Amino acid sequence: MTTAVSAAEPAAESYLRHGRGLRSWLLTIDHKRIGLMYLGLIAFMLFLGGIFAMVLRMNLWRPAGGLVSNDTYNKLFTLHGAVMVFLFVIPGIPAALGNFVLPLQLGAKDVAFPRVNLLSFWLFALGSALFVATLVAGGVDTGWTLYPPYSLEGSRGLGILLALTGVFVAGFSSILTGLNFIATIHTMRPPGMGWFGLPLFLWALYATAIIQIVATPVLGITVALGFMERLFHLGLFMPEYGGDPVLFQHFFWFYSHPAVYIMILPAMGIVSEVVSVFSRKPIFGYRFIAMSSIAIAVIGFFVWGHHMFVSGQSKWASVVFSFLTMLVAIPSAIKTFNWLATMYKGAIVLRTPMIYVLAFFAIFGIGGLTGLFLGSLATDVPLHDTYFVVAHFHFVMVGAVLTAFMAGLHYWWPKMTGRMYSEASGRLSAVLVLVGFNVTFIPQFLAGVAGMPRRYATYAAAFQTNNRVSTVGAFILAAGLLLAASGLLASLARGRRAPANPWGAASLEWSAASPPSHHNFDRTPTAGDPYDFGGLREVSAEAGWVRAAGGAP
Amino acid sequence: MIPRLLEPLAAALPAAGFMPQRASSVAGNVDRVFGFIFWVSLAALVLILVLTVVFVLRYRVRSGRTAPEPSPSHHNRLELLWSAIPLALVMIIFGVSTAAWLDMIEPATGPDPLRVQVTGRRWSWWFDHPGGRGAPELHLVAGRPAVLTLASTDVVHSLYLPDFRLKQDAVPGRFTRMAFTPVLAGNFPVLCAEYCGTDHSRMLATAVVHPDQASFDAWARAGAGEALSLSDLGKKVLAAKGCLACHSLDGTPRVGPTFKGLWGREEKFADGTSAKVDENYLRESVVKPGAKVVAGFANLMPPVPLEEREMQGVVAYLQTLGTAP
Repeated sequence: MTTAVSAAEPAAESYLRHGRGLRSWLLTIDHKRIGLMYLGLIAFMLFLGGIFAMVLRMNLWRPAGGLVSNDTYNKLFTLHGAVMVFLFVIPGIPAALGNFVLPLQLGAKDVAFPRVNLLSFWLFALGSALFVATLVAGGVDTGWTLYPPYSLEGSRGLGILLALTGVFVAGFSSILTGLNFIATIHTMRPPGMGWFGLPLFLWALYATAIIQIVATPVLGITVALGFMERLFHLGLFMPEYGGDPVLFQHFFWFYSHPAVYIMILPAMGIVSEVVSVFSRKPIFGYRFIAMSSIAIAVIGFFVWGHHMFVSGQSKWASVVFSFLTMLVAIPSAIKTFNWLATMYKGAIVLRTPMIYVLAFFAIFGIGGLTGLFLGSLATDVPLHDTYFVVAHFHFVMVGAVLTAFMAGLHYWWPKMTGRMYSEASGRLSAVLVLVGFNVTFIPQFLAGVAGMPRRYATYAAAFQTNNRVSTVGAFILAAGLLLAASGLLASLARGRRAPANPWGAASLEWSAASPPSHHNFDRTPTAGDPYDFGGLREVSAEAGWVRAAGGAP
Repeated sequence: MIPRLLEPLAAALPAAGFMPQRASSVAGNVDRVFGFIFWVSLAALVLILVLTVVFVLRYRVRSGRTAPEPSPSHHNRLELLWSAIPLALVMIIFGVSTAAWLDMIEPATGPDPLRVQVTGRRWSWWFDHPGGRGAPELHLVAGRPAVLTLASTDVVHSLYLPDFRLKQDAVPGRFTRMAFTPVLAGNFPVLCAEYCGTDHSRMLATAVVHPDQASFDAWARAGAGEALSLSDLGKKVLAAKGCLACHSLDGTPRVGPTFKGLWGREEKFADGTSAKVDENYLRESVVKPGAKVVAGFANLMPPVPLEEREMQGVVAYLQTLGTAP
């Protein structure tokens, strides 16, 4: 691998070769390298959280548990949740894929504040290190939701303080990334790109960034208050000092519900890109999709109380939260039908990203619709805090986000690395993930309806079959993800060199070389319609797609 | 009304063994709402999946099909249609579900419900029944409305009765409430649904629903006198803490309002507001007496620190002093 440049643009040196040595990576202000470093770190966190999940699932093989003690089980599900939420799902798409793709889609050299971007990465790394330190310090068993009084009891030692600090620090990383993305999209659009010329992935990242900068400070304040309550007994959340534990729940969900949209909005952005490119058709109803992202970001702020229907909050608060929760379903429905309409009469190419997107449709469909049972008051009462909730949020936060993440990762992999991955292992991994995911989590819906509460280290014998099927599914899911990882990593050594535009996509990142040069573009490109595929023609698999001079065929 | 049309479908789910028994007055309504959402959602999911599969089969690239066919890139009326139909459906779901829920949380309990004080603590439940008997099981009477007042002495717990389709958090520092009528006699599981530490999954109990009042009374008598009942404890607390110096038991107003008939009374306050006396009002009046000062009385009372069980005792005892006419 002397030079990794494509035939289309044989000029500059690739960003991967620009600067050598560890230092040129760790202190880089190149958004692409920062994106790759994020990718490495979140992939490790996915692996770590996945190991925790597998131990949990194996412990649930028998109703009496026994593989680990109850206390260890409780620590494992706490760290599984915290690591997956704060260190994989929330930063996953925006920080890893978003950092790499956003400036390229704008035809820009970098984000608006490259140094802040590096700071953001290192804050994230520090937050991650604090979680690992929590683990070394004996772990915490508070649940990722950190509900007091349990989480802030006087007997708790260093672990909880490290975990709270980790959340606090990682939160700043998220805020700074959001700020950077908003500034970049506002100020660095290329000539010819108005707001409605943005690729929909950027609309999604923009909506996500709004949530990140508005909601994340509330999380920071909440964990800081929790920290001080634990040390100085301020009397905020702990009844024994005169505080109110339900107040903490409000603060926590004011962030943590919008955080679900921090997770799913960028996923929807990827789906919009992939479904259009692999149907060879412009996205259907661009404006409705763009505005749906903004609507989700705004309405998503006013639904947090649906986590508290049985906590003792006032009756009318619950009714209002239920109503607003129902409304937030609509933008998701619009997007789903617009994606389907994009496929209608298209020319659908079943490459790995598209297969992951088809898996997304099924998983997001189930995840979204089961939310209706929990947003609706009467049915939430029995289902709240049961395995129905566990299954529902895994469908949305894990299944939907993960399949979209895998779609995006395979879609932009040639751009990131300059190599084509193996379609065979990619497609098989998508099928394994879809099957494994459903086998894991559908039995959990049934267990929840039948009355199995969540966070149980031991359970009634009646639920053994549900749990065993679920554990088998978890292994299939893990096998699918490991296969995908090995396929992608193998491509680094053996993969065919990627052309600039392997998929025939029309957004600007595909007019840069694969991998791009350090400064992305030799000349600032002029933006066209990101979904105009007319005139794009596949020269060959090796040379990829080029736009014929003179426009439409 | 709409869920009723779907009653046969809704009933199919519990009948097929997917749900526990319907052991309370609210379970049928909850299941009807569940069934309605289930069949609407299933229809939507099938629509999405069928369209996905059909489009992939019909429009996938293959020999003879390499390019898309012309079709519009947007269609406002169509998009409004598939915004409006889901909106209408979720609004119907919201309507039927909220109506069922409002009935569920504030059911008519009649003049003489079975009042049980529930205490959650790590990692067991404790139930104080009328007549004085406390037990680790919840005892109820089929057909007699029950009002459960929940408290916690340590962390947040959640009383979960799957066969009754009911759940309510027990939060330290406040009282919460659950009201319903058991309809089936028998034994049913009671669980903790809010994570509370090491043995959260073993914080289990049984709800024993007696077929009639006589059976309940026989059970309650058998254990009476073994230990101080909750309301007797409350009576002792009121005497020991000096409450009775200012609050009479016979209706005479002294420095403070009388305890006679206090429970359930609509109390008027010095600032012009009013509130019905319930367990949380009583707790506030003990912990923060200045928060609501009854009209006609001076703000003199000091806060009185009580153990959680003493607080429950005071509530239980004041309930026995009768309600205002």
